[in-house]
Amino acid sequence: MPHAGCILVIDDEPHLRRAIRNALREVADRVVEAGTGAEGIDLAAAEQPDLVVLDLGLPDVNGLDVCREIRRWATMPIVVLSARHGEHDKVQLLEGGADDYVTKPFSTVELLARVKAQLRRARAQRAIPADTPYVVGPLSMDLVRRVLLRDGTAVHLTPIEWNILRALVLASGRTLTHQQLFDAVWGRAYGNAQQYLRVHITNLRRKIEPEPSAPRYIVTEPGVGYRFEGAA
Amino acid sequence: MTPRSTLLRWLLWVGMLVAVTAALVPARDVTEQMYVPLPYLLLVLGGSVSGGRRLGYTLAAASFFVINYYFQAPYDSIWVGKLLDFVTLAAFLLTAVVATQLLDRARVDRDKAVRRADEVDALSRLGSESLSAARAGDAVLGVAEMIRASLGAASCDIVPGAPDAHGLRGDPRVMVQPLEVHGHAVGTMVVRFVSPRPFREGERTFIDALTHYAALALERERLAAEVERAESLRQGERMREFVLASVSHDLRTPLASIKALAQEEQRTGTSRAADIEQHVDRLARLVAELLDLSRLRARSFPLAPELNAAEDVIGAAVRQCTSLAEGKHLAAPLDSEAPPLYGTFDYVQTLRILVNLIENALRYTPLDGSVEVQARREGSELVIAVLDRGPGIAESERERVFDAFYRPGSAAPDQGRAGLGLAIARSLAEAQGGSVRFVPREGGGSVFEVRLPAADVDAAQLEES
Repeated sequence: MPHAGCILVIDDEPHLRRAIRNALREVADRVVEAGTGAEGIDLAAAEQPDLVVLDLGLPDVNGLDVCREIRRWATMPIVVLSARHGEHDKVQLLEGGADDYVTKPFSTVELLARVKAQLRRARAQRAIPADTPYVVGPLSMDLVRRVLLRDGTAVHLTPIEWNILRALVLASGRTLTHQQLFDAVWGRAYGNAQQYLRVHITNLRRKIEPEPSAPRYIVTEPGVGYRFEGAA
Repeated sequence: MTPRSTLLRWLLWVGMLVAVTAALVPARDVTEQMYVPLPYLLLVLGGSVSGGRRLGYTLAAASFFVINYYFQAPYDSIWVGKLLDFVTLAAFLLTAVVATQLLDRARVDRDKAVRRADEVDALSRLGSESLSAARAGDAVLGVAEMIRASLGAASCDIVPGAPDAHGLRGDPRVMVQPLEVHGHAVGTMVVRFVSPRPFREGERTFIDALTHYAALALERERLAAEVERAESLRQGERMREFVLASVSHDLRTPLASIKALAQEEQRTGTSRAADIEQHVDRLARLVAELLDLSRLRARSFPLAPELNAAEDVIGAAVRQCTSLAEGKHLAAPLDSEAPPLYGTFDYVQTLRILVNLIENALRYTPLDGSVEVQARREGSELVIAVLDRGPGIAESERERVFDAFYRPGSAAPDQGRAGLGLAIARSLAEAQGGSVRFVPREGGGSVFEVRLPAADVDAAQLEES
């Protein structure tokens, strides 16, 4: 069970804030609350929380700006609450430094699950040793030597597939947008290869997923990007 | 030239002829005969320049007789004594006639050039008028006035509509010109003259050019009106988008609060709280679907068709629907040996189509029954089919199930749905150049087929990328 010392909730709606606070008590010793973006930024700096829950619809500033501001000097997970359902909005959030988002109306159970996942991920991130193989289910990945074993058998991956897998695994549990993945694998210089990202993912899945049409490890976040789910 | 000034000119030049003759006759014995025709030739040329061809010829003929009568031996008779005198006379006449003719032609050309210059001037003024008027309507009026002035007409009207509609053909005082731009009719120009007016040679071309400008002015007015209309439509569209976005935001935020409150109540043991939460979910979904359907109908739904793998979107749809399956089987068998199938479609919206179809299929599938999702390539189309073993759909309802808010008579009274799923699925598929249709399944049940543009992936290009 992941646990946090302090979680900051930035939300202007008192009812919602109370509900979130009550739900988060399960995983945090302390929940601090802010009703505005400015207050939230101050508290994030003063309290150094282990995680931030940020509502985008703030009265004083754009929530996305709050997210970017905190991200400038802090690495703790930020889970965003958004009334906007558009994929474009989600992409903007992830590229603005958010780690996950929950769209309104949401269930506190779902929020709690996301918060736990992010706390776990933050801990695991610190713990991933670079030189030992990373083991997930039947997969054993040596990201340095580029050796992938599936049920003990070596699987051949093309260089591009390796780069994609590496980027996904290093961000395990966090959705990478198409653009972020593309930057990590091809760099900004390339123009036309982006459309083949989906083709490479399809091939990669066929190599590592037990059931490629029901992927367990490389999960599609529709319209946003892909996420590696390993730590679960 | 007025008749009065013409008469004056004739009198002047004939008077000059008399004066020259009167001056020369007394000196005819001491004058070299060869020089006599020269002053007369000057007279003829002067007359032609000032009075035109007829005056020139008349002066030439008169000079001929005067020279013959007064200056050639035997004097004071029309008899010519020497052959050389005769040649001199003939040469004079010929020279005078030819010079008159040449002068006349030069004058006609000059007149024509002046007229041309006037016309070009008028056209250029027309052009600038039609281009520079602040409002397109003003341009039409301005051009009409220019044309009226250049043709010296009583009135000129430039109106939209076909010429026949004005019932003016046959009146000799009225000129009706159909107006065309790039071969399609844009309207009619009606020019009324005070009296029937014949057109000079070359004037036709001028009128054609005027007609062209009139047509352009009218076309500009039409285009301006169209731009205005498009602009107001776009503004209306923006307004609509804005209202839709704020409505959806304003509805979702209180729904989020109600849902959170219900969950809190649930934790304290209130049994009805779960019902509240469930209804909130339904309401939220209905709000979202209504908004989407209205945007799809208005064709303002943003779509981003891209290269996508069928198994990717099918996998995501199955993943999303698994929690709804509850005791029913949902499967998307995939032949890992066969190459992946690709299509060009919007991933998110195609996922919605599939989720709608799978939910629909699950709803009509009995417990322990199964729903299957299959993909295949058919020519240039990627076909994704959702198959169930439910009751199927009666022949009479096969198209109507795609209507918004339509619920088949056989449906349970409250399925918790507004009947928008299939309507949205079909609209979404059609918006991406595809289709959704119902096919009865062999052995009972339904098949809903989504057809989308297929895509081919070039393996060689893949290696390079």
